[in-house]
Amino acid sequence: MGGFTSHAGAPGKSFRGFLSHHGLVVSGGILGLIFIGAVFAPLLSAYDPYTQDLANRHIPPVWYERGTWEHFLGTDALGRDYWTRLLYGARASLFIGFVSATIAGLLGVALGVSAGYFGGRVDAAITFLINLRLSLPVILVALAVVALFSGTFLVIVVLLGCLLWDRYAVVTRTLTKQLKEKEFIASSVALGSSRTGIIAKDILPNLANHLIVVWTLEIAHAILLEAALSFLGLGVQPPTPSWGLMVSEGKDLLFFEGWLIAIPGCALFLLVLSINLVGDGIRDVTAPENLT
Amino acid sequence: MYAKKMILVAALLGCGALHSAWAGKNDDTLRIGFTRESDTLDVYFNATREGVVMAHLIWDALLWRNPKTGQYQPGLADEWAFIDNQTLEFKLKRGVKFHNGEKFDADDVVYTMNWISNPENGVKARRFVDWIKVAEKVDSNTVRIIAKKPFPAALEMLSNLLVIYPNEYHAEAGPDLFGRAPVGTGPYAVTDVDIGKKITFRANREYFGGSKGAPAIGNIVVSNFSDKNTLLAEVLTGRIDWMWNVPADQAEKLQNNPQLQVVNESTMRIGFVVMDAVGRSGDTPFTKRKVRQAVAHAINREAIVKHLVKGRSTVIHSACFPTQIGCEQSVRKYEYNPDKARRLLDEAGYPDGFRVDLHANRDRPYVEAILSDLQEVGIDANLVYIKWPALREKRRAGKVALQHTTWGSYSVNDVSAVTSVFFSDNPDDYAHDRQVRQWLAEGDNNTDLEVRKAAYSKALRRIAEQAYWVPTWTYNVNYVFSKDLNFTPDYDEYPRFYQSYWN
Repeated sequence: MGGFTSHAGAPGKSFRGFLSHHGLVVSGGILGLIFIGAVFAPLLSAYDPYTQDLANRHIPPVWYERGTWEHFLGTDALGRDYWTRLLYGARASLFIGFVSATIAGLLGVALGVSAGYFGGRVDAAITFLINLRLSLPVILVALAVVALFSGTFLVIVVLLGCLLWDRYAVVTRTLTKQLKEKEFIASSVALGSSRTGIIAKDILPNLANHLIVVWTLEIAHAILLEAALSFLGLGVQPPTPSWGLMVSEGKDLLFFEGWLIAIPGCALFLLVLSINLVGDGIRDVTAPENLT
Repeated sequence: MYAKKMILVAALLGCGALHSAWAGKNDDTLRIGFTRESDTLDVYFNATREGVVMAHLIWDALLWRNPKTGQYQPGLADEWAFIDNQTLEFKLKRGVKFHNGEKFDADDVVYTMNWISNPENGVKARRFVDWIKVAEKVDSNTVRIIAKKPFPAALEMLSNLLVIYPNEYHAEAGPDLFGRAPVGTGPYAVTDVDIGKKITFRANREYFGGSKGAPAIGNIVVSNFSDKNTLLAEVLTGRIDWMWNVPADQAEKLQNNPQLQVVNESTMRIGFVVMDAVGRSGDTPFTKRKVRQAVAHAINREAIVKHLVKGRSTVIHSACFPTQIGCEQSVRKYEYNPDKARRLLDEAGYPDGFRVDLHANRDRPYVEAILSDLQEVGIDANLVYIKWPALREKRRAGKVALQHTTWGSYSVNDVSAVTSVFFSDNPDDYAHDRQVRQWLAEGDNNTDLEVRKAAYSKALRRIAEQAYWVPTWTYNVNYVFSKDLNFTPDYDEYPRFYQSYWN
């Protein structure tokens, strides 16, 4: 926490740092592949994720006896190509993860920085809000809201955005409080900078590397929550592909066609793991102590 | 390959229990697994299928319907006759005793019928008892049951659902205790009840036999599981001897298991798509007959039955189960023809189709298949998948333009238990067809079979002609049980464990 600076670190140096951090390179690679898969899904698969083929249900992946290269990850209960569903499902996961973590970030940072910078009554009010939010069990609130308003994409994104801001607020509030006491902030005040200017130019850049870590944690958190909601039948609604939904649809055949669950399960595991590792890596590389 | 999977399953379950597997026969205890729990054993307050199945073990009704022949046979009554079209007289069996030693006679029948039909007692299964006006004792061995109006399904109710309480014990215990510590005349007596978890039965060795026959298996234990996969794991490891409602795909895989038997049997449950033909849900395309007919031509029911529903299910065209009395089969049929569906939509003024919410409460894969067929002809249906109570409420409030749902008729083998439920003057009716209502009322309130059949036939033909419904298919049930057990399922979906025995 000691290394706050009055300006952002040198970009060239940090880029070299990125490449020399093995965890970051590997996890970034996996995340990149998933991202490319999601974006270029129509090019990477010859099938439509919604087209059913009832005569070809539950074809196992290619490494099983009955598997074929035509559907190398097999087909689901309605004969839809599993690889295609997986690619399009990545879109749902990534979109919900990124957008809701970002909404939560905007909310949490605004609240946390205000509380830390202004202190006093503002701080008391925002601390109360944070405590209130921390006392609410996320999954329960999410279940109730989705049951009320149905599980459309918009509802889930906004809901998760409104539920996952607490960590941002706690971190930024504490850090802003510490930063406020630093000499460079005092100099800015003495030079006549406005409050907005100080927050935008002096405080936020110094929070950036911490925020990246929280952001990645929350992306992973949101992705898992979406999967959990979809698994419970309250998240993304069929026939839209979603990894949580795929696990849910496969669970009836858990004892017989384990791959139906294993494939989307592994995909979820890899995505969440890679996002977390990327967050860790970026923090390592951009931490001020590593830049000097 | 299969052995490998079994080892994997065993390892997954972390079970060292395989050695104790398939012990049901050894200790003469049939272990049954249900996924729906019962909050009371009193069938009048718990008319779920599981509740009725257990009631058949504990109690007897006045009559017994032979599931093989469909004929009524003596139960607690040896003889019965219609005195007029509203009065039934029963000669009761002598020498029958309840599990607690109480003697069975006319007082028990009169007490039960009058107690359950009194609305103040809050019986939940109103549909089964509302027809009863009063029961009267003629002598200690003879009773009369008088209906409010001619009620053709009276014998059906009296043979299957309306079991007889012991009047003294019931009055003394009160409904709450009676539901937890029930006493009946049936082939099995309840010995232990842990509501929501486990119910233990012991064979009634003094059972009078009759049409049900003497029970062969010494003990029955019914356990509840909240999750079907947990129950399946118990069956695979031999800790549960019997389960039902196993999905077709799982049942197919289980057929290879040497320790288990898998039997498929048809049920009286039918599926159907209901369209809002009167515009109760607002301005909907389904008010146009051509749109409804387009939906009927769009759904590939044959393919869905062949690949998804499987088993003994068949495609149906009439709004009832084929064996039900009055179920007219020669109605207009809509074959699968997407081109024709598109043409009909075009003629109805929807060349580009339209958007609609498709509501459903069960069988998501089947509904997704229907959804895909509708999208194929341009109807952009969005699936709204909700729980049954929520769907029922929405439907009754007139907010559902399109839905796929099912109806089991409570296994009552009569059209009045299905068509009349959905096309009479009530909140479930989305057709509001005066002619249909009139014909159904004629069938419901007449005891002359030919008159009834003629009336129902007219109603069902008009329903098909107007395409108010797209009847989809009949349902089937997969029963999975230990190879040691001799069990035969019946089409009415009421497992009769009192007739089962060990091989």
